[in-house]
Amino acid sequence: MTEIVQSAAPSVDNLRRWSLVRRRSVKRQNNLVGYFFISPWLIIFLLFTLAPMVISLGLAFTNYDILSDDYEYVGTANFERMREDIRYERSVKATFKYVSWVVPLRLSFALAIAMLLNTKRRGVYFYRAAFYAPSIVGGSVAVAVMWRQIFGNAGIVNAFLEILGLDTYRWLGDPTRAIWTLIILAVWQFGSPMLIFLAGLKQIPSELYEVASIDGANGFQKFRYVTLPLLTPIIFFNLIMQSIHAFRQFTQAFIVSGGTGRPLDTTLLYSLYLYQRAFVNFKMGYAAAMAWVMLLVIALLTLISFWLSRYWVFYETKES
Amino acid sequence: MRRKFSVGLVFLLTVVMLGSAVPGFAQDNELRVTWWGSQARHDRTIEVIEMYEAETGIDISYEFAGFGDYWTRLNTQAAGDELACVIQQDYRYISEWQSRDLLMPLDQFVEEGVIDVSSIDQSVLDSGSVDDELYALSLGSNSQTIIIDVDAFEEAGVELPAADWTWADFEAIALQIHEETGIWAIGPTLPEIALWQSLYLGYGKNVYNEDGTGLGYDDDQPLIDYFSMIIRLQDEGAVPTQEEAAEFIDAGPEGTPIVTGRAAMDYRWSNQVIAVAEAAGEDRNFILWTLPRPVEGNSQNFIKPSMFFSITADCDNPEEAARFINFFVNDLEANEVLLAERGVPISTVVAEHLLPLLSPIDANTFEFLAMVAEDPAPLMPPDPPGAADLRDNVYTPLFVEPVLFKLISVEEGAQMLRDEAAFVLGENE
Repeated sequence: MTEIVQSAAPSVDNLRRWSLVRRRSVKRQNNLVGYFFISPWLIIFLLFTLAPMVISLGLAFTNYDILSDDYEYVGTANFERMREDIRYERSVKATFKYVSWVVPLRLSFALAIAMLLNTKRRGVYFYRAAFYAPSIVGGSVAVAVMWRQIFGNAGIVNAFLEILGLDTYRWLGDPTRAIWTLIILAVWQFGSPMLIFLAGLKQIPSELYEVASIDGANGFQKFRYVTLPLLTPIIFFNLIMQSIHAFRQFTQAFIVSGGTGRPLDTTLLYSLYLYQRAFVNFKMGYAAAMAWVMLLVIALLTLISFWLSRYWVFYETKES
Repeated sequence: MRRKFSVGLVFLLTVVMLGSAVPGFAQDNELRVTWWGSQARHDRTIEVIEMYEAETGIDISYEFAGFGDYWTRLNTQAAGDELACVIQQDYRYISEWQSRDLLMPLDQFVEEGVIDVSSIDQSVLDSGSVDDELYALSLGSNSQTIIIDVDAFEEAGVELPAADWTWADFEAIALQIHEETGIWAIGPTLPEIALWQSLYLGYGKNVYNEDGTGLGYDDDQPLIDYFSMIIRLQDEGAVPTQEEAAEFIDAGPEGTPIVTGRAAMDYRWSNQVIAVAEAAGEDRNFILWTLPRPVEGNSQNFIKPSMFFSITADCDNPEEAARFINFFVNDLEANEVLLAERGVPISTVVAEHLLPLLSPIDANTFEFLAMVAEDPAPLMPPDPPGAADLRDNVYTPLFVEPVLFKLISVEEGAQMLRDEAAFVLGENE
C-alpha cells in the first residue's frame, strides 16, 4: 500500500495534502451516512418530541384551550394559579408520597431479588425471566384493570385477609389506603432495576469476597463492606431512573381511580391531574405550565442527587 | 455520493409522507357519524345505519364510545379539523360549540323539507336552537327519574310513594327499606351534580346565574339540608358510603346496585332505564318514578332533550347528513329498531307508532314522561362554559368528597363550593 502511494505521489507534501482531502471527504460522507441511518429517529424526535416541547413552553404562558384558535398571552397567570389550586396541592402531595415509597421499596426488592438470583443454581434463568415478567406486563392497561379487581371489595386480597382472620378493607375507597394499591403495583414491577443490579453484581470481582472470607467476614459484613460500596454507582443510576419514572406515573392511577384520582384526590398523581386539565377541562395552557414545573422539579431533584452522590457513590476508576 | 444523497432524500420524503397520514377525501356518497352510549345503543344505531346504507347506497362510517371518552375524542378531532359530519351532541355543550363556530345551522334543510319537522313540537326545536337558529335536532325526550324495584319495596312492606313525594318522604322510605331488608335504599348517586341542579329547580332557582359567572342562588340552606340527609342515610347504612361507592366507578349498568339486587332504587335519566332493565334481566319489576321534591317546594322534574344530532361546520356534504338525520328521527322502521332507547321520540307520529311495540319497561318510560308533563319544572338553561370544569375540579373533589368523608362540615362545604365556583365561573366574565 505504502509503496504504491509513494510511487504515485512522490512528493511528501502532495501526499499529505492528498490524504487530508481524502480523509475529510470520507469523514463528511461517513457523517451523512450516519445521519441517514438515524434519520427515522431524528425526524420523529424533532417532530414529536422537540417541537411539541418548544410549543408547550410557549403555550404555558397562554390560555390555549385546544378547541378554539384564538388564545391570548396571559403572562405567568398559569403559574400563579397553581399556588391557589387546592387540587394541585393535593396532586403534589399524592405524587411525593407515591414516589418516596415506590422508589426505595422498588430498589430494595430489586436488589434483594438480584442477589438471590446471582447464583449458579439450577433454573436460575427461569427465575430471572419470571421475576422480570411483571415489568413487561405491569404497565399495561389490562394489569391495572386486574389490579382493581384484586383490591376490590370482593377481591382476592380481601378474600385472603378473611381466610387469615384479619380485617378486610375497602382498598380503593379508603383515602388512606387507595394510594397503597398503586404503590404495591409499582413495587411489583422491579424487573428492570433488578436486571441492572444483576449486571452490577456480576462485575464485582470474586477475589474481594474471598479476601473478606479469609478475614472472617460474615454474610452481612460482606454485603455491607464489599457489595454495597462497589454497587453504589449502579444504585445511583437506578435511583435516578426510577425516580424520574415514578414521577411520571400515569396509566395505573388513571385506571385504578377511573380517571378521577379518587378517593379525595389521594391517587391524583401529577400526570393524571395534568391530563385532566389538558384533555378533560381543556386548560391546555395551564397543563403546559404544570408540565414545565414538573420538568424543572425533576431536573432540580436530579441535580441535587448528583451533587449528593459525591458523598456516597464510590467510583473505582477515580481512585486508581 | 450524490446518488446516496438522493436515495436518502427519497427516503426522507417517503417517511414524511407516511407520517402525515393523508385524510380520505370525502365523496358525495360517504358520511361519518359518531355517538356515545352503551352497548344497547351501539347495536341499535349500527343496525339503523346498515338499513340506511342498504336503502340509499350511501357509505356510512361510524365511531362510538362511552360518554367521557366520546367528548375527549370529539374535542381532539375538533382541534385537528377531523370532525365527523354527523355528531351526537349534548344539551349542555350546544351553545359552547356554536360559539366556537363548529356547528352548521339546520334551518335551511328544514325550509327545503330535507328535515321534516311537521310532527315535532316547537319547544323541542327550541331546545336545540341558539339565537333562534336551529343547530341540533333532539333525538328523544327524557327526565331524571328514580327507578324503583317494585319487588324490593313489597318485601320491605313499603308502598309506592305519591307522585309529588318530598325528600322527607324519601328519607323515611329509605330508612324503612334498609331496616326491613338490609339492602341499600339507593345506589351511590344522591350526590350527583345534576341532582344539585334540580334541587334548586325545586325552589324555582337555577344553580348558575344568568351570565354563567357564578352561582345563581343566595341561600345555601337547601343544599345543606340535602347533604345532611345524605350523611344521615350514610350513617344508618341506608346508602353506600364514599368508601363503598368507589366500587361503582365505571361499573356500567351491569354493576349498578339495583341490577345486582343490592339496592331498591336507582337515580338515572329516564332513557337509561332501558340499559338498566336489559342488564337486570326480564324477571325484574322496575318502575320509573318522579324525583322527590323539597318540602313545600315545586317539582324538580323537567323534560329535557336527551341528546341531539348536529352537523359540523366543515361537513362536505351537509345535505346527505341532513337526510340521514331526517331518516333517524322520522322513519318508522328505523325507530322500530331504535325503540326509544335515546328517549321518547320527538315525532309524535313515531311515538304513537311505537307504543304497541314496546316492552313493559319501555312503555313505562313513555308513561313516566306523561306523568312528568302533568307538573313539570321549567327546562333548565344549558350549562355555562366551565360547568364541566366546576363538576370535575370543584363540585366532586372539593365539596362532595370532603363533606361525605366528614373532613369538613356541610356548611363549610357549601361555602367552599360557592367560593370556588365564583373562581372557576369567573372566567366567563
